Amino acid sequence: MRDSNRFKFRLAALSAARPRLLSLLLLCVSALPLTARADDVTLNVAYDTLPVSLDIHEQLSVGVLRLAHLAFDPLVRWDRHLGLEPRLATAWERVNDTTLRLHLRRGVHFHSGNLFTARDVAWTVARLKRSPDFKAIFAPIVGVTVVDDTTVDLHTRRPFPLLLNLATYIFPLDSRFYSGQLPAEAGDRQGQDKAAIAKGGNTFASRHLSGTGPFEITRFQPGARIELTRFPDYWDHTSPGNVDHLSEVAIGESATRVAALLAGDVDFIAPVPTTALTRLEHNPGIDLVTMPGVRITLLQLNQRRVPAFRDRRVRLAMNYAVDQRAIAKHLLEGFVTPAAQMSPEGYAGHDDQLTPRYDLAKARRLMREAGYADGFEVTLMAPNNRYVNDAQTAQVALAVAAMLAKIHIRVEFKTLPKNQYWTEYDRRAADIMMMGWYSDTGDSANFFEYLTFCPDSRSGTGQYNASEYCNPELDSLIALANSETDMRRRTSMLRQAEAMVYADAPFIPLYWQNLAWAASDRVAIEPVLNVMNMPYLGDVVVTPRAGETHSR
Amino acid sequence: MNPAPTPASRGPLASALGHLARRRRLWLYLGMLLLLAGAALMAPWLAPSDPYDLAQVELRDSLRPPWWLADSLPGHPLGTDVQGRDLLSLMLYGARVSLAIGFGAVLLQLLLGVTLGLLAGYRGGRLDALLMRWADVQLAFSTLMMAIVISAVVKAAFGGAFYGHYGIWLLILIIGLSEWPLYARTVRASVMAEKRKEYIEAARVLGFSAPRVVLRHLLPNTLPALLVISGAQIGQAIMAEAALSFLGLGMPETQPSLGSLIKSGFDYLQSGAWWITLLPGAYLVLTVLAVNLLGDAWRERLDTRHAPVSPTAKGG
Repeated sequence: MRDSNRFKFRLAALSAARPRLLSLLLLCVSALPLTARADDVTLNVAYDTLPVSLDIHEQLSVGVLRLAHLAFDPLVRWDRHLGLEPRLATAWERVNDTTLRLHLRRGVHFHSGNLFTARDVAWTVARLKRSPDFKAIFAPIVGVTVVDDTTVDLHTRRPFPLLLNLATYIFPLDSRFYSGQLPAEAGDRQGQDKAAIAKGGNTFASRHLSGTGPFEITRFQPGARIELTRFPDYWDHTSPGNVDHLSEVAIGESATRVAALLAGDVDFIAPVPTTALTRLEHNPGIDLVTMPGVRITLLQLNQRRVPAFRDRRVRLAMNYAVDQRAIAKHLLEGFVTPAAQMSPEGYAGHDDQLTPRYDLAKARRLMREAGYADGFEVTLMAPNNRYVNDAQTAQVALAVAAMLAKIHIRVEFKTLPKNQYWTEYDRRAADIMMMGWYSDTGDSANFFEYLTFCPDSRSGTGQYNASEYCNPELDSLIALANSETDMRRRTSMLRQAEAMVYADAPFIPLYWQNLAWAASDRVAIEPVLNVMNMPYLGDVVVTPRAGETHSR
Repeated sequence: MNPAPTPASRGPLASALGHLARRRRLWLYLGMLLLLAGAALMAPWLAPSDPYDLAQVELRDSLRPPWWLADSLPGHPLGTDVQGRDLLSLMLYGARVSLAIGFGAVLLQLLLGVTLGLLAGYRGGRLDALLMRWADVQLAFSTLMMAIVISAVVKAAFGGAFYGHYGIWLLILIIGLSEWPLYARTVRASVMAEKRKEYIEAARVLGFSAPRVVLRHLLPNTLPALLVISGAQIGQAIMAEAALSFLGLGMPETQPSLGSLIKSGFDYLQSGAWWITLLPGAYLVLTVLAVNLLGDAWRERLDTRHAPVSPTAKGG
C-alpha cells in the first residue's frame, strides 16, 4: 500500500453523527467515571490519523489495521522478527497443494457474548471478498469450508504459498452480531443489511463493533478520538497487558504530537517526525524506539517517456551515480537504511549480496559507452513533506539531482504536497517519479507485482510501475514463485528475481525508512512494536503513576 | 526639495549639529544597504561557488560549520547547508533573489497603486467609490493571507512546475498585488487635496488635457509621500517573501531566497546546525533594517511636519 492517510477527507461526512448514537455515546461517557476504579491503568496514545469508521473492512490502511488489533484478533500475527505467531488459529497444516487447514482456539467469546466458531471465520472471509479494498488481496482464496466448530479449510485455485500471510488480515467478525437487517428505528436505513460495506457510508458496521479483541470500544469520534476499555472476558490470559483504559487521539501536526508527549498529555506517539528524533533520544523520561522499516523508497525511471532510459547502461550508470549511503548518513541523519533492492531484511527475497554500488567513475564510463557522455535533461517529481511526517523527500530529490548532475544528467525537479502528487503520479507526469511502497502481504513478491510487472490495466498488475519497465521473464519467475509452496525453493526464486532487477536496474532504490515510536518510560513499548507498524497495545505493560496505585 | 525648516526655538549651532547628525546617519544607513545589496548584486563574482550548479555540490560535505569552529572546511568560510552547498554563496545568491523580489514587488505596487490612486482621486465619483471599497476589502485581510491565497490559486491553476520556473516573477506579482492599496490610498488622498488648489484649476482653465494635468502637475506633488512609503514597503516585501518561503510557498529549493534558506535550516536547528538558519537570518534582518532606517531618515528629511512648528494649514 502506498499511503496511510487516504481517508482523511471522508471525516466530514461521517462526523455528522446520528442523534441516537450520540446520546448512546454520552451515556457511555457518563457511565465511565462510575466504573473506572482509582487503581485502573490508563494509556493515552496520539497517532497522526485515526480511522473514520469502525468497520475494519471499509478501508485498507495502517490506521484501520491498528484498530483491528485492539478490538479484534487476527488468526495469526507477525512477531518482531517477521515470523508468524498463533492467535485465534492455534495450529495449521497443509492438507494438499491448494488447501490449508486451520485449527481454531476454543472457548473464545466476542464482546457481544457470542462464542467464536469456524463459521465466523468463513463469514469474515466471505465479507472480505466483498470489500472493495480487500478483495484484491483475497482474490487467491476461492473457498472456505467449515470442517467442524474449531476447524476450517482455506482453498485456493492454484498452489498459493502466502495463505498464512493473508491470515494476518483475517480478524474474525462476530457473524451473528453483524447478520440481519436494521430494525424500524433505523429510519430510512430500515431493512439495510447489517453486514453492508460502504466507503464513508453510514452502515451498521461503521458504528457498531463486536470482536474478540483485548479492548471494547466505549466512545468513538470518527477520525478524532477512540476510547476503549479492557474486555473482561478476553481469552488471552497469558498476555502481560495491564492497560484498563486506552484512549487514542489523532494529532495530525507532528510538532504538536511531540509536544503532547513531552508535556505528558499522552504517553505514546507514532509516527515520530525525523526532525524530533535527536531531541527525543536525549530526553530523560522518554523512550525512543527505532527499527529498520519495510517501506522501500525508490526512483522510477520512465522508459516510455525517456528513450535513454531504455538503455540498460544508462540505468546502471544512474544507479552507480547515486550514493544511498551518503543520503542516509548526511541528509536523513541515519534514520533510514540505505537500499539497493526492494526486499528489506527478513523478507524471503532479501539478498545480503545486493548492496549500494556508488562508483562515479564507472557511472561516467557507462554513460560514455551508451553515447550519452554529454548527458541529457529529465524531469523528476517527488512528494514533499510539508504536512506529512516522512523523510525529507524534497531534500532527497535535490540531493539526487546533484548526484545525477555529476554524470551530466540535468534534472529539473519539483516537489508537491502528497495529495496533489498522487494525481500527477497516476498521470506519469515526470520522467523520474519517487515512490514509496510497503508490501501488503509482508512478502517480497508483492513489490514485484506492483512495481516491476509489465503494466496491465486489466489485471491491475504493475499498477505502480512508473518505470514502464516490462520483463516477461521476471514476471513469469514471480508467477512461478507465487505457486511454489516449498518455501526454500520459493526463497531462492525471489532472490533470483531481486538479482535480476539489480542487474537490469529499472529504477534507483534509495532507502527503507526506519520506523520510530516514542513513549513515556512508564510504558514498556519495545516488546509490543513490530516492523508492520502495528503496536499490539493489548499486550503493553504500563507502570502506573505513583498517584494511581495508592490513591485508594 | 528644501530641507526641513529649522525650528525657531533652537539656536543656529544646535540646528546645524542636528542636521549633520541626521545626515551622517543617512549616509551610514545608505552605506550599510549598499554594502549588503552590493554584495548580493556581485554574487557571481564574490561567491566562492555557484550554488545553482548542482554538479559542484558534494553531499559528503554537508552540515559543515563556519570557519571559526572545529570540523570546518577551507573552501566554505560560513559552512555548508544540508546538501553540502556553500552557505556564503547561497546567502549572496539568496539575497539577490530576496532584493529582486523586494524591489520588483514595490515597483509593481507603485505602478498599480499610483495609477489607480490617481484615477480614483482625480475622477472621484463612482469609480473612486468602487476602487476604494476594493482597496478597503483588500486591506481588511492581512497581506500575508492575501499572498497565500493568490499563490495557492496560481499553483492550482498553473501547476507546481510553472511555479518553480517563474518563482521570482510570481512572487513579485503576488506581493505586488497584495499590497497596492496602501499606495493607492496615499496617492488618492494627496490628489484630492491638491486638485482643489489654484494651480490645478489654472491648468484646467488653460485647457490642458486630463492626462497632462494628472501626470505633469498632480503626480510630482505626490512623490515625496511615495518615496517615504517605499522605504518601509521594500522591507515589508522582503519580509513577506521570507514569510512565504518559510511557509513553503516561496522560492524552490534549487534557487533559495534568504527566506527559504532560513526555512531549510530550521529542520536542522535542533541537531546543532544553527548557521543555516541564523546567518541568512542575520543577513535578512540587517538588509531590512538598513532599508527601513534609510526610509525613516529620508522621511525625517522630507517631512516638514517633523519640525515642532504648527502644521501647515489646509488648502492654499
